[in-house]
Amino acid sequence: MLNVIWVVMLFSGIVLGLVTGREKEVSDAFLSSCSQAVELALVMVGAMCLWSGLMRVAEKAGIVDALARLLKGVFRFLFPGVPKGHPANGAIAMSFSADLLGLGNAATPLGILAMKELSNINGNSPIASNDMVMFGVINAACIQLIPATILIIRQQAGSTDPSGIIPCVWVASFVSTVTGIIVAKALARVGRIPPKYGAGNGKRLKPSDRRG
Amino acid sequence: MMDFLSNAAIPAVVLLIVVTAYIRGVPVFDAFVEGAKEGARTAFDILPVMVGILAGVAVLNGSGLIDMLTGLLQKPAEAIGIPREILPLLLIRPFSGSASLGLFSEQITRVGPDTFLGRALSTIMGSSETVLYTLAVYFGAANVKNTRHAVAASLISSYAGMLAAIFICRIIE
Repeated sequence: MLNVIWVVMLFSGIVLGLVTGREKEVSDAFLSSCSQAVELALVMVGAMCLWSGLMRVAEKAGIVDALARLLKGVFRFLFPGVPKGHPANGAIAMSFSADLLGLGNAATPLGILAMKELSNINGNSPIASNDMVMFGVINAACIQLIPATILIIRQQAGSTDPSGIIPCVWVASFVSTVTGIIVAKALARVGRIPPKYGAGNGKRLKPSDRRG
Repeated sequence: MMDFLSNAAIPAVVLLIVVTAYIRGVPVFDAFVEGAKEGARTAFDILPVMVGILAGVAVLNGSGLIDMLTGLLQKPAEAIGIPREILPLLLIRPFSGSASLGLFSEQITRVGPDTFLGRALSTIMGSSETVLYTLAVYFGAANVKNTRHAVAASLISSYAGMLAAIFICRIIE
């Protein structure tokens, strides 16, 4: 998928830039993006170490398992391919908790850990499983209780009621999460039909896929 | 109160984990370092994915595509109740985190944070995520080449949430 998206992004951006005489902006943006990526990644290395380390501590202390047991019922519906008691349950639970609490720096590393666990279940295949897609979609729907950054910007912009938007944020997040779950389930069921997403066209169907 | 809650969340979680682990006899620091090593490796693996995604997004931002699309889509968007001031944010939000945050900060001072537009912009930002980046990093870390319906489902979910945000703010207004 990214193979197509990336080409479309670069092609449309560069052609449009050339046509509208913004070639300098496009060129600058292209060249400076890599150092921006390195900066982001360096921050990420620290955050990944910190939260992966803490995650391991929480795992060994049994906290992760406890959290996973709490969410058992929901997980069976969302991730039917994940076996009972598999470490992926705990990793997903931790990742969702970090999302909900708005632990910005922790959410991405924990999400990556969970995705790698799901990939293990999928035999590290280059084709995403239904459970992996579901996890990605829920994460991208961003369930967050307190959008701290936005509240701070509102305050700086002189709002008399910065946190007044919170109920609206909850409703909107709920709508997007539920929509994401429904669409992901629906598309997983049609599964192999849209060939442009190259859903494997029937090869390598796993038990988890058949059940989903 | 909200400030306290969001600031205290991380220290509280860290305290809970470390104290519980210590009480249960886990060699806390050894376990931490073991996990951290794995984390460092993963982070380096993602760097090439990030360079690629950010290069694509940067080119799009620099090319003025968003301005052009805003001009084109303004009429149809207003017909279904999406204000002109919100359209650029809707277009850029799923693709670029830094660009949407910049746009948001600029727009909110212009329209005022407590107006309908200001509240709608804030709600959109607070309830959505940089979909493309999130998916690329997660699936990139897992070495997935074919993400199947992930991008389509995420974009649909994202736009459902953003449209809901505008709708709710309009009702509450």
